[in-house]
Amino acid sequence: MTMAALRTTAGTWDELIDAEGMPRPAAKALTDLLEGLGLAELQERQDLAELDILALGITFTVYSDGRGIDRAWPFDVIPRIIGASEWRRIERGLKQRLRAINAFIDDVYNDQRVVADGVFPADLLAESVNFRPECRGASPKFGIWAHISGSDLVRDADGTMYVLEDNLRVPSGVSYVLENRAISKRAFADLFAEQSILPVDAYTDELNRMLVSLAPDDIAAPSIAVLTPGIFNSAYFEHSFLAQRIGAHLVEGADLVVGDDDCVYLRTIDGRERVDVIYRRVDDMFLDPEVFNADSMLGVTGLMRAWRAGNVAIANAPGAGVADDKVVYAWVPDFIRYYLDEEPLLPNVPTYRCVYPDERQYVLEHMAELVIKPANESGGYGLLIGDRATRSELDGHAAMIEADPRNWVAQPILSLSTAPTLCDGEVEARHVDLRPFILSGASQYVTAGGLTRVALRRGSLVVNSSQGGGSKDTWIVED
Amino acid sequence: MLLSRVADHLFWGARYLERAEGTARIVRTFTEVIVDLPTGLMSSWEPLLAVAGSREEYDAGHARAGEADIVRFLVADATNPSSILSSIGAARENLRTTREVYPREAWQVVNDLHLYALSNNEAAVDRRSRNRVLSRVISESQRLDGVLTSSMSRDDAYEMWRLGQSIERADMTTRVVGVRAASLLALPPDTDDYDEVQWMGVLRSLSAMQMFHRSQRGPIDGASVVRFLLTDAHFPRAVRACLGRIRRSLSALPHSATLVPVVDELDSFLGSLWVEGSDGSALDKAMDGLQASIAALSSRVFDEFFAGRP
Repeated sequence: MTMAALRTTAGTWDELIDAEGMPRPAAKALTDLLEGLGLAELQERQDLAELDILALGITFTVYSDGRGIDRAWPFDVIPRIIGASEWRRIERGLKQRLRAINAFIDDVYNDQRVVADGVFPADLLAESVNFRPECRGASPKFGIWAHISGSDLVRDADGTMYVLEDNLRVPSGVSYVLENRAISKRAFADLFAEQSILPVDAYTDELNRMLVSLAPDDIAAPSIAVLTPGIFNSAYFEHSFLAQRIGAHLVEGADLVVGDDDCVYLRTIDGRERVDVIYRRVDDMFLDPEVFNADSMLGVTGLMRAWRAGNVAIANAPGAGVADDKVVYAWVPDFIRYYLDEEPLLPNVPTYRCVYPDERQYVLEHMAELVIKPANESGGYGLLIGDRATRSELDGHAAMIEADPRNWVAQPILSLSTAPTLCDGEVEARHVDLRPFILSGASQYVTAGGLTRVALRRGSLVVNSSQGGGSKDTWIVED
Repeated sequence: MLLSRVADHLFWGARYLERAEGTARIVRTFTEVIVDLPTGLMSSWEPLLAVAGSREEYDAGHARAGEADIVRFLVADATNPSSILSSIGAARENLRTTREVYPREAWQVVNDLHLYALSNNEAAVDRRSRNRVLSRVISESQRLDGVLTSSMSRDDAYEMWRLGQSIERADMTTRVVGVRAASLLALPPDTDDYDEVQWMGVLRSLSAMQMFHRSQRGPIDGASVVRFLLTDAHFPRAVRACLGRIRRSLSALPHSATLVPVVDELDSFLGSLWVEGSDGSALDKAMDGLQASIAALSSRVFDEFFAGRP
C-alpha cells in the first residue's frame, strides 16, 4: 500500500494525514506500518478482528420489525490517533466543563443563583423537559449530579476540536472503548510493542472507586448494583460488561424493592439484601412509578424516597439531564465563566436557539447551511443536515420549528474530520467523531481517548451505530 | 448473595446446555446402534422421538418419519424447542443475562458453541458427518464444565449452575436408558443376538463403559447396566450420583431444608425400582416414573428459589 492509498478529502481535516499528504507526527509509526502491510494483509487483520468480535460475543442491539436483534459490534481495524500533548489540553477542558455543568445542576435544584443573577433565563428553565421539580432541594454527595458523562467532540476543517454535545443522562459506549482496545492490541501487537499508547483499561477501576465513594457515609463496604432496562435495551451488552468488570449486581427494576425503612433491597434467593449505590442506566422518567411515569415497568417504587432520604446513591442523579439539552448546551461557556471564573478551554459549536425570534428567523432563512437538531432527542433521530436535505425535508422541519421552537436548535455545518477506514477492500476517508467519558465524584477522571465513531457510508456524517455507523480504537500516542 | 432472577436464568442456562449435550448423546448412540445392527433388523427411527419426548411436536409438522427428517428435527430444527440448536440458543439467551456472575471464558465457550451450532447443524443430518458434529457439541459442553471447575468460585451462582446441570443430567441418563427401551420395543420379539452390542452402545453414549467394567468385573448384561446407570453412587452420570450432587448443591444454598427431603424421597424411589433390563415396556415405564419425579423436584426448586420471597 502506498501513501496515495490513504486518500483524504479536500477541505477536510484528516486525523492521520496532513494537507500535504504526510502523516501527522503521532500517526507516523502506524502509517509506516500500513504502507508496508499492503491491502491484503490489512484486510486479513480486519477479518481476524471481526472473528474475535464474534467469538467474544461483543454485540449491540438494533431494532427491526419490533424485535431487538443482537448484532456483532461494527469495528474498523485502522485506529484513530491523537497526540498526547493535544489530548492533555482536551482532558483539562472536559474536566473544566463538567465542573461547571455539575455546579449548574446543583444550583438549579437549590438556590438558582444562575437565574437570579440573570445568567440563565428563568423561562427556559421552567420549560425545560429535563428539569425535574421532584429533585428540588436534593443535595447529592460532593454536590455532583452528573457522575458519568460522555461528551461528543468533533473537529472542524481548521483542526479545532469542538464540544458538540454533553451526554449526562445514560451515555453509552465506554464498554466498546475497552473492547476495541482488546481487539486492536491483537491486530497491531507490533505497534503496541514499540510505541507508547496510553492504556484505557483503568476506566472500570476508576468507575468502581467513584461509585464506592458515593455510598452513604456510614457504609464501609457498599453493595453496588447496575440498573438496566433489560436485555432488549440497545446498550444491554454494556450494562452487563460494566457489572462484570466492577463486580456489581446487574439488576432490573423488579429485582429491587424499597422497604418501609426507605432503604433499597435486592431480592435474592436468601431474602432481601441492602443495596447502597445504584448505577442506573434507566431514564429518569422510568425510575420510580411513584414519582415519574406511573406505568413504568422498568423502575422501582419508592426509589426517589430512598434517594432523598440519603439511603441510596444514584448515579447519575435523577434530574442531571437538565443540563443535557441542546438548548442549555448553548450556555455552558457562560456557566464556566460564571461558576469557575475561568475561560472555556474547549469551545462550543456556535448554536442558534429557535426559542429566540431573531435566532429562529436566522435559522429559517439559512436552513440549507445549518444542521437542524431537536433539543431533546438522542441517537440522531430528527436531525437534518441542511445542505443534503431535499426541499420537502427542509419544509417539514421548518413547520416543526414553527410549531415548537423551543425544541429546536441549529448549528453551522461542520465538515467533521475524517480518518482512513477500510471499506470494501479499499482504504478511504470517512468522517469520525469522538466520545470521551468523564467521571466526576470526589475527583475527576477522563478516559484516555474515548470511543471514535465512524460514518461508514461515503460522505455520511451520521456515526450512530443504530444507523449504520462503525467504530475505531482511539490511540493517545506520546509525541 | 444471588438474585432470584439470576438464579433462575443460571439454572435454566445450565439445564439447556446439559440438554443439548444429552440430546447429542442420544442421537449419536442411536445412530451407532443402528449402524451396528444387520440391515433390516431395526429400521425405524421413530423410537428416538419417543425418547426425546417430542413425538407430538414432530407429528404436528411432519407427514413421514424417516431418518433425515427425525434427526433434523432433533438437531437442527429451530421450531422444535427441544432441538439441540434451540437448546443452545435458549442456554445462550439465559446466560447472556447473567454474565456478571460467571467467568468470561465460560461465556466465550457458550458463544462459540452457539456459533458452531448455527453454522453446522445441517451437517448433523448427514450420517457421514453426524458423529463429528454431535461429538463437537458434546466436547464444547465438557470444555465449559472444565472452565467452571477450574475458574469459578464455589458460591451460590456456582451451586445453582450445578443444581440445574445435575437435574438435567439425571433426566438425560434416564432418557439414554430409554433409548435401549425403545430399541427393545422396536425389535421383533426374541431377537437377543445383538443384546450386548446394544447395551454397549448405551454405556458408550454416557462415556460409562470403562467405569462400568471397573465397577462390575463381569460381562455386560442388561440388568447390571441398568442398575449401574441408575444406582451407582460414584459414576457422575448415574442417577444416584446426580442426586448426590443435587443434595450437595442444595445444602450449600440457603433455605434448602425443605428440598433435601424431596431428593431423599427420589433416592429411595430409585432404590425400590427393580428393572430386568430385557423387558422394554417395564424399562420404559420405570424411566417415565423417574422422569416425572425429577420434574417434580425441578418445580419445587422453582417455588423455593425463583418464585420470589416477600
